[in-house]
Amino acid sequence: MAGPVSVKAALEVAEVLETIVSGCVGPEGRQVLCTKPTGEVLLSRDGGRLLQALHLEHPIARMMVACVSSHLRKTGDGAKTFVIFLCHLLRGLHAVTDKRKDSLISENIQTHGRHWKNCCQWKFISQALVTFQTQVLDYVMDQYLSRHFLSIFSSSTKERTLCRNSLELLLEAYFCGRVGRNNHNFISQLMCDYFFKCMACESGFEEVFELVDDCFVELNVGVTGLPVSDSRIMAGLVLHRDFSVYCPADGDIRTVIVTETVQPAFSTSGSEFILNSEAQFQASQFWIMERTKAMMKYLESQNVKLLLSSVKQPDLVIFCARLKGISVVECLSSGEVSLIQRVIGLSPFVLPQASSQFEISNTALVKFCKPLVLRAKRYVHLGLISTCSFIPHCLVLCGPVQGLVEQHKDALYGAFKMLRQLFKDLDLNYVTQTSDQNYTSSPLIYKNSRESNQLPEVVNGSIQSPHQGTIVKNRDELAKTQTYLKVYSNLVVPSVELETRILCSTPKVTPTDTYQTDETLRCFSPNKTGIIDNHESFTESNSANSTTENTRIEISYENLQVTKTAGKGSMLPVRYKSLEICTSQSYCFSSIPAGCVLPVGGNFEILLHYYLLNYAKICQQSEETMVSMIIANALLGIPKILYKSKKGNYSFPQIYMKALHALQTSQPMVSSQTGLESVVGKYQLLTSVLQCLTKILTIDLVINIKRQPQEIYDQDSEEEL
Amino acid sequence: MSRFEAKKPSLCKSEPLTSERVRATLSVLKGIVTSCYGPLGRLKQLHNSLGGSVCTTSQSSALLANLSVTHPILKILTTSMQNHVSCFSDCGLFTAILCCNLIENAQRIGLTPSTVIKLNKHLLRLCISYLKSEACGCRIPVDFSSTQILLCLVRSILTSKPASMLTRKEIDHISTLILRAFLLTIPENTEDHIILGESIIVPLKGQRVIDSTVLPGILIEMSEVQLMKGLPVKKSDSLKVALFCASLSGDLSDTGEGTVVVSYGVSLENAVLDQLLNLGRQLVSDHVDLVMCQKVIHPSLKQFLSMHRVIAVDRVGVALMEPLSKVTGSQPIGSLGSISPSSYGSVKDLCTAKFGFKHFFHLIPNEATVCSLLLCNRNDTAWDELKLTCQTALHVLQLTLKEPCVLLGGGCTETHLAAYIRHKTCNEPESILKDEGCNQTELHLITEAFCSALESLAASLEHDGGEILTDMKYGHFWSLQADSPSIVNWPDLLSRCGCGLYNSQEELSWSFLRSTCHPFAPQTCLPHEAAGSANYLTLDCFTAKLNGLQVAVETANLILDLSYVIEDKN
Repeated sequence: MAGPVSVKAALEVAEVLETIVSGCVGPEGRQVLCTKPTGEVLLSRDGGRLLQALHLEHPIARMMVACVSSHLRKTGDGAKTFVIFLCHLLRGLHAVTDKRKDSLISENIQTHGRHWKNCCQWKFISQALVTFQTQVLDYVMDQYLSRHFLSIFSSSTKERTLCRNSLELLLEAYFCGRVGRNNHNFISQLMCDYFFKCMACESGFEEVFELVDDCFVELNVGVTGLPVSDSRIMAGLVLHRDFSVYCPADGDIRTVIVTETVQPAFSTSGSEFILNSEAQFQASQFWIMERTKAMMKYLESQNVKLLLSSVKQPDLVIFCARLKGISVVECLSSGEVSLIQRVIGLSPFVLPQASSQFEISNTALVKFCKPLVLRAKRYVHLGLISTCSFIPHCLVLCGPVQGLVEQHKDALYGAFKMLRQLFKDLDLNYVTQTSDQNYTSSPLIYKNSRESNQLPEVVNGSIQSPHQGTIVKNRDELAKTQTYLKVYSNLVVPSVELETRILCSTPKVTPTDTYQTDETLRCFSPNKTGIIDNHESFTESNSANSTTENTRIEISYENLQVTKTAGKGSMLPVRYKSLEICTSQSYCFSSIPAGCVLPVGGNFEILLHYYLLNYAKICQQSEETMVSMIIANALLGIPKILYKSKKGNYSFPQIYMKALHALQTSQPMVSSQTGLESVVGKYQLLTSVLQCLTKILTIDLVINIKRQPQEIYDQDSEEEL
Repeated sequence: MSRFEAKKPSLCKSEPLTSERVRATLSVLKGIVTSCYGPLGRLKQLHNSLGGSVCTTSQSSALLANLSVTHPILKILTTSMQNHVSCFSDCGLFTAILCCNLIENAQRIGLTPSTVIKLNKHLLRLCISYLKSEACGCRIPVDFSSTQILLCLVRSILTSKPASMLTRKEIDHISTLILRAFLLTIPENTEDHIILGESIIVPLKGQRVIDSTVLPGILIEMSEVQLMKGLPVKKSDSLKVALFCASLSGDLSDTGEGTVVVSYGVSLENAVLDQLLNLGRQLVSDHVDLVMCQKVIHPSLKQFLSMHRVIAVDRVGVALMEPLSKVTGSQPIGSLGSISPSSYGSVKDLCTAKFGFKHFFHLIPNEATVCSLLLCNRNDTAWDELKLTCQTALHVLQLTLKEPCVLLGGGCTETHLAAYIRHKTCNEPESILKDEGCNQTELHLITEAFCSALESLAASLEHDGGEILTDMKYGHFWSLQADSPSIVNWPDLLSRCGCGLYNSQEELSWSFLRSTCHPFAPQTCLPHEAAGSANYLTLDCFTAKLNGLQVAVETANLILDLSYVIEDKN
């Protein structure tokens, strides 16, 4: 069976998904109950989970779900927004093509022919989408949006430190969309506490994220039958099993990990043990027994008090351990073993095969080990002494039903994923190509780094003063950092205007900041990467303002910074970037720096919408204009849903008009909601959706086959990753 | 080769609570749990049509475990209740009824779920802070120096489970036994950390309830033949005990992952038996009097031991191992090799006992926190119910030990709480309105829904068509017989309130519970002497009820928040 793929069909599918998903998006969203074939009941507001639970049959729907889940694997957030945005994009495309079709019908072609023709057209649009995603989007992000970014780090200190208040705002906004209305405050507070308790030092948060993300299953315990408010954080590690032997001990407890049975077996796999007489049998049994005892005695002599085993130990070992006063925990999962190894740096004790000499080098100390009873179930509670920047803590998550506990677990896990993404720099790989005439008309002057220090003078003497003494150390090894200086021959910028702009963008002015945490949130320049020492005189001159439309030239003094490359301290190349709005030659390493956030409530969408519209206005190619317009309008779909239930001043049109007004007059945007969201997450979401849409548009025919297309599936998944 | 099967698409329904079917099933469930509630609750008989045992019960744990619900929403509700019961044993029906009431009332008022959920949570917070506060008028501190309150608590639990079919006298007897059993599990020398012992319930069906008894130590059931072999001669003031957790049956232990090749003519069984007999010799030479084994003892070894007047008891089972090790002070032996003398334990005495038609060994400990509760009842179903009730009571006593206070039972806590909440939201609504961002009408409607859920919960204690009244001073629960004359003096008709704390001669004024009455402030701060004077109070476990309240409101909120149900039909 084959069926043509059309935007219409895709739109129908997407609209169905949108109705389901939009019910649980945002702070006003509600819960969805899913049942599993096993009879388990699950509560969820997680878009990815819902889409998977639906077991969709429609091929396009399945493709969408696959795209969503690959996006989720990467970022852990944004499934619902994905669907809504995709739906709006399709709607936009559908509206545009409907108009075109009217003109096509008059040409009176055969239906089949028209179908193929349509496909060509889709192909065309999808190419435009790809171009948009790789070039325009990154450009707009870098040039315009970046000045609205706030940072989650507190800037008062020199090192990158997390600001607790901002983190709380970020998490609260995240959990608003993920857990039940009653619990998001509590859960986000819990997560925040957990995070700060686990962090040994301020700078080690990346390691904490990595570890928690990798070992999340081992770091939490679910308890049903208690109210959610009974959830708590416990110092130490809780193993999901009981002691096989428990011998109370005081003080620091010496521990070993084994991965095989302490008692040697008669025969190992692949070998044969030939018994010739009864005496031989008895002797070998005796030897095994003696050897086991000797081993346990040795452990005792080394003052080992706790034996952690990843396998089940025979009765004899348990018995000996009890006699020797050694506590035993058996059947640890590989995850638990690796977590313990990572936290206390203890590797498993390898049992000697033949020799009677034991050598034990791998022991570690734990502060305490005791049984823990949570709701009639017994656990082992270990007080690990951490050797890394992660101080082990466990989350005890309570809820009346398992489904709710699972939901909270998933949400917390997703939050850690999201944060991990947030604290990475994301490179925007945009390298803008120049059109030929522009290239020739703009002479490039490559200057030595020292010379380029004088650069402001070349442009205008009056802007020199605020830049003096601005030294920014950029430890990021951008080996290829080159100094580009571009001076346009027709550069005419009134000196007064430049000066005022630079004054405007000194760091003390924080235009979008509406929070109590004034000093911690500030504009970050877009191409600042890695760790940057902020000196007081650090000036951020971001003059890419749309007010210079009359001159048609935009110059951005992107972060006049003196970069110190590793090794050569004397060489101080200055990166100076000049960009024209239409097409310009520039080779730059732009990125979204780690920790960039924006206020919630559709801020990102409205901003991008605004700048894309502006971009579309001056864009020459009609395809590009169309794509930008469609995307810009589709972006508004998300804030529309978020503000659906609000009335009066907080309704969507009001918010939208206010935001536009603020942007046009360069005033700070006022957000009605507190809470922050990650820019990186939003950006990745946007690109994922565009990729998905491209995929949908490039397929012209769906062919139903009987077998599973194994190889193709594999390739697909590689592509997604 | 694995078989691939196409997954069927799931079924997705929006706004599940508005569907008629869900409402109907919810009200059926509510009908079932409501009719079971309280001492006068009706019993339910659960059976399948294929024969087998029949369960007669009115307890939530038995009822919910056996009911098979299919609708996902009901599943959430019932699992939530079951989880509560498995944590706290008590107040399962309370939780279930309250949850159903809350859902029903919230649907009736037709406000948006978000408002209802927000305010429900706020009201719950009010309830909890009141119940935990010193001023609480329905909480009594427990004085462990007298047994009176504890006895009332146990008696209330027994009374509220009519399916165990006890008479008043039997209830008194069993409550005393339960309390005694509980007290036996508390260690005498109390350090900073109290580790409670265990009471083992020993079944004895077909006997009179009055024959039930509590014994310190452990009872192990024996066949009569074994008892005939006689008891060991007591050489000193105690008997030496060896407790094995390893099998003594002579089977080969695990031989590893490789293969073991046995040459012709070599008998491993003989080799192992030799080993066992060696072990037997060692036991005899160590003057062990009693050998107990979790698993099977080889007949030859048994024979050998009995020849040397050592009693051998096998197939003890894993459940008894821990109490046995506690009672005897021995360590379970896991090896057939030489046994270190430190593994042996001892008991003060061993005697045989016959209860009903069953014979037991009775291990009398020197000093231990393990006791056996020999529980009798006339038939199987009643015994099962009684056993569950006893377990509940023992658990509740443990919970009370942790949090030494109890709540007034008999519906009084609920009506009192409802009166308190009504008064509170009526008199000081400003703070709530400011915090939660809602208006006065919404608050009034939801408070009314919340309070009437509590009150109709109390009212479901009455099953015989009587009227429920509440007094305007304490806000307690009074029930009026169904066929009482209409115009009489109320104090004559009403003798005592639900919990039994107040009597009707105190110049109180009453009003019908369901009539809309003016909010009044119920008298807080329980008079201390009131708690001491009343002999037959009806009391509830504080911890269990508090958790039940929270779980009920949280579950109701959860269900009200559902916008879709996706059913996986695979």
